[in-house]
Amino acid sequence: MTTTRTALSRGALALYAVAAVAAAATGSSAFFLWARGISTGLAIAAALPPSLLLGFIALASRFLCNALPLRSASRASIAIAHAGSAAAASGLWVLLWKSWVPALNRQFAATVAPDYSLLFGLGVVLYLAAVAVHYLVLEIEALREAEDEVLRYRVLAREAELRAFKAQVDPHFLFNSLNAIASMCGSRPLEAREMAQRLADFFRLILRLGALERITLAEEIDLVQRYLAIEQVRFGERLTTHVNVDEGAARCMVPPLLLQPLVENAVRHGVASMVEGGTIDITATLEDHMLRILIDNPADPDRADARGEGIGIENARGRLSAVSDGRAMLQAREAEGQFRVVIELPR
Amino acid sequence: MIRVVIVDDELPARELLREFLAADDDCEIVAECANGFEAVKAVAQHDPDLLLLDIQMPKLDGFEVLELLDRSPIVVFVTAHDEHALRAFEVHALDYLLKPLSSERFSAVMSRVKRLAGQHDRQPVSGLATSLRAKPLQRIVVRGEDGAIQVVPVSRLDYIEAADDAIRITTAGIKLRKQQPISEIAAQLDPGRFVRIHRAYVVNIERIEKIELYAKDSRVAILRDGTRLPVSRSGYQRLKELL
Repeated sequence: MTTTRTALSRGALALYAVAAVAAAATGSSAFFLWARGISTGLAIAAALPPSLLLGFIALASRFLCNALPLRSASRASIAIAHAGSAAAASGLWVLLWKSWVPALNRQFAATVAPDYSLLFGLGVVLYLAAVAVHYLVLEIEALREAEDEVLRYRVLAREAELRAFKAQVDPHFLFNSLNAIASMCGSRPLEAREMAQRLADFFRLILRLGALERITLAEEIDLVQRYLAIEQVRFGERLTTHVNVDEGAARCMVPPLLLQPLVENAVRHGVASMVEGGTIDITATLEDHMLRILIDNPADPDRADARGEGIGIENARGRLSAVSDGRAMLQAREAEGQFRVVIELPR
Repeated sequence: MIRVVIVDDELPARELLREFLAADDDCEIVAECANGFEAVKAVAQHDPDLLLLDIQMPKLDGFEVLELLDRSPIVVFVTAHDEHALRAFEVHALDYLLKPLSSERFSAVMSRVKRLAGQHDRQPVSGLATSLRAKPLQRIVVRGEDGAIQVVPVSRLDYIEAADDAIRITTAGIKLRKQQPISEIAAQLDPGRFVRIHRAYVVNIERIEKIELYAKDSRVAILRDGTRLPVSRSGYQRLKELL
């Protein structure tokens, strides 16, 4: 689509350039003749054919402009190339005048005698004007392409964001929670109402925090605890949680929804894989300007879907390195039925 | 009277099923199970008419539970995951209910169960969901003579040998017997990690130490632990392609 548009406008622009240079050459050279006492009609008739030729030569200069872009070619080579070609083009145009004028004089029994050095100067000026216009057009095109590029990147970034956001919360968490609400409606309606409220608060918070650049660790932990409170209803005694965040750590800034998917992993692939359940331990400390977060949970080494959690960890690692210029670290290791994620983020 | 076993690892989900079933005078819950092990035991013990079965559970998933049943009742899956519906169809489940559960849908299924309960013959679910399995088998479930259930991740598998219409699985020197044709398990395993080196042998290629020429056209695979397994000519071809 865009290429066709550019090609069309390029063709049209070329024709305009030929016409403009030819018209300018005709007008100005005819004026010089008229000033020397030649009638207007004859002056124009004399100037038109060589001027048309100059128009086409000036058009050809765009190939030279393409080959010597302003941004990359050296100043000297640009100046020399265009000066040389301007002289050659103008020489050609003067040559045509010289062969054309005698024929004209014979035909109309006139005495047209142009000042050839003046015409040469005129040819050089017009040719260089055409070069300037070509460079202008090239610049405008480059600018438009750069704008397209920026737009394309913006769309891509937006898509990536949306994908990341969707990946934050497992939809089955929602389905299972709704099922739990449905189950409590009959026997424990007050608890059902409370659970619905918690679920709504959780999703509202996800949307709000997700839109921010950075949040405090305290806010993130609040989100995680709301999530765990909902899972608690589903898992009952099988799920225990310990959260321990020291004061300095709580005030640290972190990218939003950094821990939430990791804690979700700890529930889905960890505690949920154990018949007897287990404890999720979340610890955050700030020491020597280093924020250190640990997430520990038991996990069945023989669980079937051991690969799914890798994606969540990769995502978290990618986001962490993006916000810290690669200075942060995220490690996941599993040994003797315990899964541990370690995050270290310098302040 | 329809005798029902409920299997779900979440208490609220079991409560909902219990509530739905309580409204039906023709149904009786004979067992409630919170994991696959309990489910296998409960079905063997009670021989129910209907199994309401969750899929994602610790240790054994719903499909693995079915694999371990000698007599399979009518099965209705109850899950939040819609991606297993095709496999459920292949193991002849009567229906596949999605959470959150709809009571209308549930009572429609129950009336079908009542119609079919008399005619259902309790065959073991064999040839279990092999072709529709999206990814290769990740673990093998085996029930021993004493009824104890073993879960063997395929990474711990050394080799499998055919024994009549059953297989013997060797893992860290222990042999486990399972009633399943070797061709069936061979088709389920990751072809990049397990090779059928002989009509009667499938081997984990990570366990192979070397291949030796034994006689003309006859080779033997020597495993890390010293075990020697015969390699047929076509088995050798398959090995060569992989390595």
